[in-house]
Amino acid sequence: MAVQPEIEKKSVVQTVLDVADDVFTRITAGIPAGEVRRMIRGEAPGRPNPRLKPHSEAFLLHIKPTYYHESVTKFTHTFRLGLLSTYLFFLETITGLILMIWYAPTPERAYVDMIRLLSNVPFGQFMRDMHRLGAELMVLIVTAHMVRTYLTGSYKAPRQFTWFTGVILLVLTLFLSFSGYLLPWDQLAFWAVTIGTSMAEAVPPAIVGETVNLLARGAPDIGANGLLRFYLLHVLFLPLILFLFFFVHYYKVVHFGISLPSDEEEVGQDTANKVPADRRVYFLPDVMIDEASFLIGFTAVMVFLTAFFFSAPLESIANPQSTPLHTVAPWYFYWLQGLLKIADKMIAGVILPGVLLVLLMAIPYLDRNPSRRARDRRVAIISGLVAGIVMVIWSWMGTPYYAVQGAPAVEVVQKLMPEEGAGHVRELGYANLPLGVYDTREHPVTENEEFNHILHQFEGHIVHFEEEDPSFNSPYGVLTVSQEQPSLKRLTWEIHWLSPEGVEDTFKRTFFLHENSLYWEQYGLRDFSFVRAAAEE
Amino acid sequence: MKRPWYNFLYVRAPILKIGLGIGALLLTIGLLLFLGVVEESRMEAQTANWDGRAIEKGAEIYANNCYNCHGMDGKGLPGVAPALHSNYFFTQRLADVGWSGSLKDYIALTVAAGRPSNVNMQWAQMMPTWSSRFGGPLRDDQVDAVTAYVLNWEKSALTQGTEDNPDPWQVFANAPTRAAAGAEGDAAEAVVAAEPAGPRQPQELFVSMGCGGCHNLDQPQAADNRGPVGPNMANLHESAGTHGEEAETYVHTSIVNPNAYVSEGYMAGIMPQNFAEKMSEEEINLMVAWLLDPNRVR
Repeated sequence: MAVQPEIEKKSVVQTVLDVADDVFTRITAGIPAGEVRRMIRGEAPGRPNPRLKPHSEAFLLHIKPTYYHESVTKFTHTFRLGLLSTYLFFLETITGLILMIWYAPTPERAYVDMIRLLSNVPFGQFMRDMHRLGAELMVLIVTAHMVRTYLTGSYKAPRQFTWFTGVILLVLTLFLSFSGYLLPWDQLAFWAVTIGTSMAEAVPPAIVGETVNLLARGAPDIGANGLLRFYLLHVLFLPLILFLFFFVHYYKVVHFGISLPSDEEEVGQDTANKVPADRRVYFLPDVMIDEASFLIGFTAVMVFLTAFFFSAPLESIANPQSTPLHTVAPWYFYWLQGLLKIADKMIAGVILPGVLLVLLMAIPYLDRNPSRRARDRRVAIISGLVAGIVMVIWSWMGTPYYAVQGAPAVEVVQKLMPEEGAGHVRELGYANLPLGVYDTREHPVTENEEFNHILHQFEGHIVHFEEEDPSFNSPYGVLTVSQEQPSLKRLTWEIHWLSPEGVEDTFKRTFFLHENSLYWEQYGLRDFSFVRAAAEE
Repeated sequence: MKRPWYNFLYVRAPILKIGLGIGALLLTIGLLLFLGVVEESRMEAQTANWDGRAIEKGAEIYANNCYNCHGMDGKGLPGVAPALHSNYFFTQRLADVGWSGSLKDYIALTVAAGRPSNVNMQWAQMMPTWSSRFGGPLRDDQVDAVTAYVLNWEKSALTQGTEDNPDPWQVFANAPTRAAAGAEGDAAEAVVAAEPAGPRQPQELFVSMGCGGCHNLDQPQAADNRGPVGPNMANLHESAGTHGEEAETYVHTSIVNPNAYVSEGYMAGIMPQNFAEKMSEEEINLMVAWLLDPNRVR
């Protein structure tokens, strides 16, 4: 036996300890327990540095640099936005894989599966909310990462191609987020994607646009085929492409190093890879502690937001026969929707975004200014800020507030009880809607304070539109709340007004509200009233 | 080097980072534990929520498609369609038709597949097929929603049967029920046989023959105000004479032979063609006069 001679020399305890340490070292890919203790104590590594071994031994660490320049490890230089984008991609993959268990991409099943996920799967709603929040944050953080890179001038030589791949990653992130939009098969999803794919139709020449649209939808209109195609795009094709470009991007980041703060080196110099020995910060343990604690902290924030302030929306089942009032794109495409309102579909939906995208990719090749310092880049920074402001304005134009107001009577009801989503009345709920007929001319007051507030708003909106719209004269509204069935109330909104010719006109809309229905907004404090209801039983 | 205003975000000390990381981890675990504790009641609330929303959707479908015949509160219309908001319907119906499944299945099937029937029945119209699977307009989820809506009447239907809250169920005239066939075989026949002497009043016939199911007496027929199934009749006295015949002849023909004139936009064969058998000539003439009276009294 091979251990026999050692036992003769060493005690049994020591042998066991040595074997344990050996196992530990294998798990950590080369770091013995004693070295971990020295790391935690903050002692300097010996020479040669034993903490470099995992970078050559472990697959997951071999792509990480062994050390960084002290200046780039400062949180306030990069805000760790690239790391965060990568982390969110993996978080989306994990939550997405879990959600796939309960999902079948067919029009008959998709929406029912969503309801089942929300009502019958423990932590199902949490997973869905996390996935949705992660998707929106990923768009936000990838964009912030790009803005940071732009403002610090880090796209300049030699990192032009890194920027180029970064723009591709941004586009892929947007497409990933958007392709996931259709999967719940609700009205929100269906119409946003119908509008989105119809933009592809505008690609000139007509034969190309029509073919692209047909390929995406799988039929002239989105149906079973379109859903399957978007599903495959979302869970397979786009993640694979993104994965590929991520590694190209990351390879370039490691290859050139993270650019130093601009005032730490001469203009035109790039010393990111020539780190003096006294400015090195090793990945193990400093950067690892930093990154790990940052990601754990970020996860905690996400879980907190999901638990209390964010609920993924789910509207009525997709209905190709009825377009909801005020169909909106996801917020990160508001700007595109805004453009479409003021220009033709081909110009605003295809040519302009295409030109913007090419411009964005070409920035490092167009900007010949060698300096990364803000004071030398006034033109670049100011034009960047202007572009940002223009995006915000276009986005505002994409919201229903700009240029798509319907008839005043329709808008009044939509404000209080929208066709889709929650609205004040549904949030108030069944219990707070006393039966009766409420005519705004009589300024009705009930015993329910919250309901009085609704009546007040009803009156206020009508007065507001009377002032705004000359064809909406001496209007008044009547809200009738009646008991339709046990636990079901009928709300009939009637608005009467006189046209400029003095002809009386009426708008009538009926909604039903069930005692057990819960409606929620995407952003806002989560309603935990079910906990109280359960406790009372 | 000048420090930017957001420099406070930069945590330098490793021990502080480790502390923040552990704190965040504990917070995450705590939040997940909290969510785990309330998860059971959350799932129950969500289940009730989606059941409630299905009833809301069903109410909308019912209001748009079903109430014309089955009535606003589901109590049916005499001679048009049976009551659904009925104690009998919720307690006896399944046993009488010999249905072994649940009431939910029975309703869903009837909505989806409709009820084939012939013209010699007591109901003015047959129940159409609603499911898109059988050529109707509703998707499966809509059939389920309207079924949920009908089932939601159960609570108040079960209180029926008292004097001021009678069961609106109408005995099926020519389809004797199992119970009736066994114990009191001729009960259903008797209802039909009991015809009063003398002409019946048009007001009464308009209801019992089921005309009101499709023809609205209070709304005028106009291009922007069309009756959904049959033309409205508030302005019949004005429009009846515009078809190249005497107004009386036109209305009379339309009752005894509905397919002689089919107003544009309506389908032939919807209106029952056996009114000449169900009403006497005298009753039909009274009906024509009453319908053409501009000051019609109901």
